[in-house]
Amino acid sequence: MRSKFILLLIIGSISVFLLAFTFLRPTPIYLEIPKGWPKPNYDFSKNSLTEEGFQLGRQLFYDPILSKDSTISCASCHLQATGFTHVDHSLSHGIDGKIGTRNSMTMMNLAWSKTFMWDGGVNHLDVQALNPITSSVEMNETLANVVLKLQKSEQYKSLFIAAFGDNSITGQRILKALSQFELMLVSSNSKYDKVMRKEALFTNQEQNGYQLFKTNCASCHSEPLFTNGEYENNGIPIDTTLNDIGRQRITEKSEDYLKFKIPTLRNIQFTNPYMHDGRFNKLTEVIKHYNSIGNNKKVSKQLKKSMNLTDNERVDLVAFLLTLTDNEFLFDKRFVYPR
Amino acid sequence: MRSKLPHVLFFTLFFQWIYSQEKKENSSLQFKIKYENESLIQNKKYISLSKDTLQLETFRFYVSNIKFILNDNSVISEDNSYHLIDFEDSNTQIISIQKKSNLEIKKVVFSLGIDSTASVSGALSGDLDPTKGMYWAWQSGYINFKIEGKSSSCKTRNNGFQFHIGGYLKPNYAIRTIELETNNSNFEINVDLAKLFNEIKLSEINSIMIPGSKAMDIADIAKLLFSISESLSNEK
Repeated sequence: MRSKFILLLIIGSISVFLLAFTFLRPTPIYLEIPKGWPKPNYDFSKNSLTEEGFQLGRQLFYDPILSKDSTISCASCHLQATGFTHVDHSLSHGIDGKIGTRNSMTMMNLAWSKTFMWDGGVNHLDVQALNPITSSVEMNETLANVVLKLQKSEQYKSLFIAAFGDNSITGQRILKALSQFELMLVSSNSKYDKVMRKEALFTNQEQNGYQLFKTNCASCHSEPLFTNGEYENNGIPIDTTLNDIGRQRITEKSEDYLKFKIPTLRNIQFTNPYMHDGRFNKLTEVIKHYNSIGNNKKVSKQLKKSMNLTDNERVDLVAFLLTLTDNEFLFDKRFVYPR
Repeated sequence: MRSKLPHVLFFTLFFQWIYSQEKKENSSLQFKIKYENESLIQNKKYISLSKDTLQLETFRFYVSNIKFILNDNSVISEDNSYHLIDFEDSNTQIISIQKKSNLEIKKVVFSLGIDSTASVSGALSGDLDPTKGMYWAWQSGYINFKIEGKSSSCKTRNNGFQFHIGGYLKPNYAIRTIELETNNSNFEINVDLAKLFNEIKLSEINSIMIPGSKAMDIADIAKLLFSISESLSNEK
């Protein structure tokens, strides 16, 4: 009788343990690859997405604890409503009001990116965040110190347990959690996407703009990501107050002088100012620039010929670019400040 | 009566196995960081053959892909072989490796630095965790070795010199393979920093923090820092 009771007790506690373990295990989530899109570049086998990992990353993304004096978070320069970039500032500003040398990039569809930053100096999404964290004009912090600060927080301890199974807080886990949040930032529900899926129709003007886009812009801003991920010299003269030589700083090759990342055009309606140094505030200025590049020997080969669009054609092209706005993405509740 | 033979057999085999495990001892790779023949002392003043007076504050380096070649040419290697060795932390200066053999080691092979595969694999853990301060932010990749200090020869801020040597992209792939032969398994590896400072003039070269041809030159010199010292006795 007694031994039966003990046996039951053992079986009972084992099943409670197993049940608890099932509930404690992070819930897997998957990145949905939009129909017709290429295979993502990110290796998910090294960082399996989970709801808990994503939520931890989201918490970190919005937490100024990443900066030396707890004033700057990732979201300080990457606001959701503007395609996760910084508006109203040509150059982004960070800690103590210090100003950087570049316009912060947008953040979307990052799982498909092979390289990161305007100069492509970063080779993997996981290690991108080291740049803003350690930059003296952005967060001016070290990753080692972020680890120490997070280890003191009971809230983060439980978030790390939920995401990774134990409360060990390491640099690797911080970076992988941030990646999990960033990987989920997929923008694929603009009007353009709906037209491609045959769920909507372009107006005549948008359709005309789309044709002009395909002829004049798509070799670099290729569909469906609206970037081919490469680096080009788009003919804007160097700003002599910044002397930013672009990709050449990374590769040390003279042919990379003034080459910068080709940014995506998705959500371009709200991602102003434009270019690596934010020199153009309006979309019409950008198009004007490409319309009259003229004789610039250094410019990339795709831009050697000016577009020479008429005034009406330029209006049509802008109308098409506005169809790349994805309000579902810009206002997606899963990406907002966590409460 | 059941026979006790199976039990006896089992225990005999078990103890034999335990005994054989003990005999196949672990081998350790011990790094002795020196300036000439003496152990390196932080901030002690040394004078190089180039007549630079110098003090060292930081010396950290990655050792990776360690292999022991045994007398029968078999190779002992370890998985995920990446170790950060810090001159300020003696615990990092001994690497224990399961030898699983009683044969003598005749050659030690390892790399100074991190290979390109690990350099493009995102955020890694352990000694490769970016919190170790050996990962570049603005240009991805590991710093293979870091040497920092002061010298009156350096006309720099606080007379400082700093060498952050790395780079995983050709033609500036700064990893170096080091092969050292030994007559017995009882050895240590000397790392003599004097050999670097005897080769350079700190007034001319005192700050390298990016991959490139200058980093490649220092990496070539750094290969020469390593030598084997065999101890004749069993004491280490």
